[in-house]
Amino acid sequence: MTSTAPQPTLSFPRETFAKLSPHPYLLAHLQPASAASTPTRANGRSPSQFRAPHVNNGSLTHAEGSTVVRIGDTTVVCGIRSEILLASDAAGYRVDNSPTTPFSPPNYNEAKELDLLVPNIELATGCSPAFLPGQPPSTLAQSLSTRIYSLLHSSSLVDGEDLRIWYQPPDLGGGGRMEEDEEDEALKPEVKAFWTLYIDILFISLDGNPFDAAWAAVVSALRDVRLPKAYWDADREMILCEDEVAQSKKLKLRGLPIAVTVLVFRAKEQKQGGDMKHWILVDPDTFEEGLCDESVTVVVDRSRRSTEILSISKTGGTIVGKDQMREIVDLAGMRWGQLSLPLLGG
Amino acid sequence: MTDRRRINGPLGGTSAPVFSKYLARDANDRPVRTRQPNVLRKMFLKTGVTPSASGSAYLELEASRPPKSSTPGLASLSTSGLKLTCTVHGPRPLPKSAPFSPHIILTTHVKYAPFATRKRRGYLRDASERDLGVHLETALRGVIIGDRWPKSGVEVIVTILEGEEDQWWGSGSNKAADWGMMSVLSGCITVASAAIADAGIDCVDVVSGGVVALVRDPLTSGKQSSAAIVMDPVPSEHEEIVAACIVAYLPGRDEITDIWVKGEIGSQDYGDSSYENLTDNAVQAALGSHRVLVAALKETADMKIGR
Repeated sequence: MTSTAPQPTLSFPRETFAKLSPHPYLLAHLQPASAASTPTRANGRSPSQFRAPHVNNGSLTHAEGSTVVRIGDTTVVCGIRSEILLASDAAGYRVDNSPTTPFSPPNYNEAKELDLLVPNIELATGCSPAFLPGQPPSTLAQSLSTRIYSLLHSSSLVDGEDLRIWYQPPDLGGGGRMEEDEEDEALKPEVKAFWTLYIDILFISLDGNPFDAAWAAVVSALRDVRLPKAYWDADREMILCEDEVAQSKKLKLRGLPIAVTVLVFRAKEQKQGGDMKHWILVDPDTFEEGLCDESVTVVVDRSRRSTEILSISKTGGTIVGKDQMREIVDLAGMRWGQLSLPLLGG
Repeated sequence: MTDRRRINGPLGGTSAPVFSKYLARDANDRPVRTRQPNVLRKMFLKTGVTPSASGSAYLELEASRPPKSSTPGLASLSTSGLKLTCTVHGPRPLPKSAPFSPHIILTTHVKYAPFATRKRRGYLRDASERDLGVHLETALRGVIIGDRWPKSGVEVIVTILEGEEDQWWGSGSNKAADWGMMSVLSGCITVASAAIADAGIDCVDVVSGGVVALVRDPLTSGKQSSAAIVMDPVPSEHEEIVAACIVAYLPGRDEITDIWVKGEIGSQDYGDSSYENLTDNAVQAALGSHRVLVAALKETADMKIGR
């Protein structure tokens, strides 16, 4: 009778399991074997639980508006610098196109035509081992910048009037205002220059969901911007600004749009097969982003009581249908409530 | 030039806003140094700001208070502090195409954020950033025990969120040399050292940076102004900076890994402005920042071991 020595059992720490077989690792969390434990994600959150946001405004000296947004381990710094674009230098500026004149074309977005808002996302700051400096912007960085740019203009967040610098030419004529000819063009106020806002978004640390954090940082920094009072000095023929805080103005923003990204995690790795078990994971981190293909981004605004949907974008799969979309929009509305507190309070 | 991979501004080009106060140039608005010549600014140092990196650190030096002027001005015209963040990735294996190296290959990147200085910077690296990167690499190369990691590389990336200015904004357009860069380099060395320690890379000692300057401020009427040595200079607080020196110092071994001296030294007009005197004072300044560095690293170690 031979006695076999007991086989040593192979056991790894959790992190090793996560690296070796990530998909079964996450699936085991979401579909636990024992009925007693509640399904959670690998990071301990429930599938519909967001990470707590932290917003801090006004910390940078040289920026007109600045903010630091921290959502979990994703940290973003956004600084807004303003510079002056003279109307005479602006390519494509026509006085007739200005919305204040009676014959301006409809849907003319002056800020977009003249490139007055310039957002840029910089990922290559060493925020994650995948993004090291020394390379030109990756596809992800370029697509994020473009998404922020198009959302910024399509949401009409910034009022074009805030960016214009008007000049009222002084009435140098003497008396004799009786004739019609006196009322010449020179006395009407004209736009002499525009404010251009350079919105620079730097990622200090990235742990998934860069778009939501970047958009929240843009909105928060725009709320923090203080533009100095600017006027056209006719003697020096240049735009001068005043330093006093009392004469500066804040931007009038239209609403408070918030972006919410969710990913769809499938039970089986193959794409085919209908009626597959799936989970909708909100506010994903890097680990989950590597395992999911299908993503939905919804931009909502609830500053006027009802949930206004500014944008819905869905790519990567066919699992999300009308019912799931409704559920996602509800989750987005709930997240608006969570994020609006620090954004409005800061 | 248009960068096709980024969103560009208006084609016509924009210019920074000119403030009427700048044209009036009221000298009473210049900030004045209130510290003693041998007192450093308060430093805030914290590690672990980027959890996905091997090691990271954040350094902040407080900004100097503006003088008591009548109306509070917009922040964009006041003097800035220093805000740096550093991430360390490594030791990682070198790519297969790289030749064999018996010691670790250190790569440093230093980058100003576009909103870091009064004049907006672009996204492409320019000469001053490359200069800072080379000095940082020199300072760190002597500290890391490279033989323990053959065929490996480590990347040290410093991002400058807010940098020092070279001169007071109201001084007019006379070109000052890059004095702000000296304080920035001293901060870079300290923060990189903290991040490397956070990453657990073996070093012979903890290196810290110290900077001093030989400044000449106008005294009251008539007297010939003489130069004095101040530690941790803020360039906008002084009328004229004659020379500046920065060292990267190892207190445990009493060694210096990097020295950079700029300006006029050794001239009899400025008192005892010899090279040795400047470096001795810079070493004292480095010892000051070393104290803060060690205290921050002790906290990190307690947290890591306690976990």
